[in-house]
Amino acid sequence: MAGWSEKILDIDLNTQTYKTYPLDMEMAHLFIGGRGLGARLLWDMVGPEVDPLSPENVLIFTNGPLTGTGYQTSNRFSVTTKSPLTGTVLDANSGGFWGMQFKKAGYDVMIIRGKSEKPIWIEIKNDAITFHDASELWGMRVFALTQKLGQNNNKRNVLCIGPAGENLSRIAAIMNDRERALARGGPGAVMGSKNLKAIVIEGKDRPEIEDRERFKFMLYETRKLLAASPLTSQALPEFGTVVMMNIVNNIGALATRNHQQTQFEGAEAISGEELTEKYLVKNSSCWACPIGCTRISRTEKVEGEGPEFESTWAFGAQCGIDNLPTIIEANTLCNDLGLDTISTGSTIACAMELSEKGYMDSDLRFGRADQLAPVIEAMAYRQDVGSDLADGSLRLATKYGHPELSMSAKGLEMPAYDPRGMQGQGLLYATSNRGGCHMRGNMLGPEVLGLPKLIDRFQVQGKSSFVILHQNSNAAIDSLVLCKFTNLGVADEYFARVLSAVTGIQYSTGDMIKVGERVWNLERLYNLREGFTRKDDTLPPRLLNEAPTDGPSQGWVVQLEPMLKEYYRGRVWDENGVPTPKKLAELGLANLM
Amino acid sequence: MIDQRIYEMFCDIGRDLYTANMISSHGGNLSVRLGDRVVIKRRGAMLGNLKPNDLIETRLEKNDSGVALASTELLAHRTIYKMTPALAIVHCHPRMAIAFSLSRDEIVPVDNEASYLLKKIPVVTEEFASGTPEMANKVATALQNYKIIMLRGHGSFATGQTLDEAFFWTSTLEEACQIAFYAKLLNEPFIEYRKMSESYNKF
Repeated sequence: MAGWSEKILDIDLNTQTYKTYPLDMEMAHLFIGGRGLGARLLWDMVGPEVDPLSPENVLIFTNGPLTGTGYQTSNRFSVTTKSPLTGTVLDANSGGFWGMQFKKAGYDVMIIRGKSEKPIWIEIKNDAITFHDASELWGMRVFALTQKLGQNNNKRNVLCIGPAGENLSRIAAIMNDRERALARGGPGAVMGSKNLKAIVIEGKDRPEIEDRERFKFMLYETRKLLAASPLTSQALPEFGTVVMMNIVNNIGALATRNHQQTQFEGAEAISGEELTEKYLVKNSSCWACPIGCTRISRTEKVEGEGPEFESTWAFGAQCGIDNLPTIIEANTLCNDLGLDTISTGSTIACAMELSEKGYMDSDLRFGRADQLAPVIEAMAYRQDVGSDLADGSLRLATKYGHPELSMSAKGLEMPAYDPRGMQGQGLLYATSNRGGCHMRGNMLGPEVLGLPKLIDRFQVQGKSSFVILHQNSNAAIDSLVLCKFTNLGVADEYFARVLSAVTGIQYSTGDMIKVGERVWNLERLYNLREGFTRKDDTLPPRLLNEAPTDGPSQGWVVQLEPMLKEYYRGRVWDENGVPTPKKLAELGLANLM
Repeated sequence: MIDQRIYEMFCDIGRDLYTANMISSHGGNLSVRLGDRVVIKRRGAMLGNLKPNDLIETRLEKNDSGVALASTELLAHRTIYKMTPALAIVHCHPRMAIAFSLSRDEIVPVDNEASYLLKKIPVVTEEFASGTPEMANKVATALQNYKIIMLRGHGSFATGQTLDEAFFWTSTLEEACQIAFYAKLLNEPFIEYRKMSESYNKF
């Protein structure tokens, strides 16, 4: 059927064997692909008894019906696993070229099970799967390895881990196409625990499209919309995602020095404008993306992709550092070592606060740009102080007796937006199924950018409705799989129509959002089965009790409790945050309870 | 207790609908969804001149005392919220759009703004065009695929995340109908300026 290859590749590393079998198409219609399909498969395969770093955990790579079709930003793919950082269900998705190649190889899903006795890498050329010894590659960094294995953007694409993944850092990323990342929640550690260094893919099948005329029309209309939006046609291409630095700082929502303040006096020096003026070499883009938000930046020491807004914030405002070249170098170093930049930066910031307050014996201090590179290296190799930081801020802060200084939700470090200045964002972090994350719904649109229309960022009543809608919508987009930046210029209704054109199955906007709701509830069930409860739907005490003393968010803390109550009711969950039988039946999930 | 910001949004949009000639003195209605609750205009209240007690909060799924006071179209609003991702609804009586709805099954704009934003607006028919389950289902079903639709001879229903988004679609539709009307009056050959406009009716 157009949209799906209808085929699963199932690889067992214990025996270095594989099999293929048909995708359950009823499941595919209910969960579409990407994140949704990954979550549904994980539910059956990895229960609460499984340690995330044991051979029993799995890596489930998925693409979606739109992947590789040529629709704008249809380059993305997902990995789903149980997170070694949070213990929750984890989906991370990434752009670049690898996802498109994965689709062309003729699979919707690739499951990696077990653990190889010694390091290996896998080469996939459609039906030809080859296991290679990776003993000599073990220890290599990402850039050199990617080149060695023959990365060629449109023909042969490399996905791998760096030293951080090998050393089982719980904030290790899986990297693809050299500098794209499946970053959050530690999937790189899961890959490292399986002694799997890389997966290289070459595909040759062009994805089918059921209604080419309608698809062409939607392609054209989407191009018009993206060209008309100043965000997707001007701001992102010109400044990259770092364009958000000054905007978020100006409204008093830029977390600073481990969330001790909500504005950073050095924001201008690390802004998108500064990056473009002084360090930008050229723009770049993922496959089939007309936006081109990717930066190629250069300092005296490095040249590479990025940095993105969140990475710039993590090493910048969050660490009190306003030295942009050092931030660019820290970002490049993380990409080369295979580390999640948000968690790395925020964990360093946590260590800086612990050290400044005398809880931890180290010389780490806010504002010390010179400390970034050495501590990042130490984290990837678990050396010296880095061994304490390699598993994220919550384990670090807990070790030193102050878990409240970890700026995380469910153990995942939060990104740049301080929710004291964006109430909806606070509810979003607290209820996110993979922890403190801005990609599981983002209130930046309605609370800051006015997309689709501006709502009061301090308003509490009714905010849960927006959070629920955006969570459901993002879960659907993650299941297609598309880049969420497309959604800055193109409404959900277009995605439903494109999905209909590609598959020949008629999806209304409501149908697509319903898929997102199904995915969200399934992920919730997964976390409940893992032992998470209502008390985990929370935020660091600082955000609930310590109001900023100046700036545009002065006097505000996150009003979580009333929003959470309204949220549970809106989701038709009980007062403990458990989906009701009625809701599960409506979503076709009743059989999972 | 309804948040002051929500009340002010109702007042702003209600007044604008009235001054834009899109409702009569007591016509039309607005609502927003707050989780499992709906805030809607009180029956008989004037959208152009709302007072604080003119907004009624009631439940989405079940009746409570609020329904005794709520707008006649509460059923339609509830059904739309249950069947679509809408968080806000604007229902009004845009005159030119109603006139167009009397003679066609869909309105396909000719102006750039509405072509770009709406592509086409379906027109649905229901004999009992106010407050009935039949009307509610028909309108909500159409809104699963479109953000604004016309109920023939009655008025428009538009959805959005906010009232001003739904109002935007409403005013765009009325503007499109006025432009189409003027173009018809001019009665001069139409010069197509939109690539792929032949596909709009398939949107």
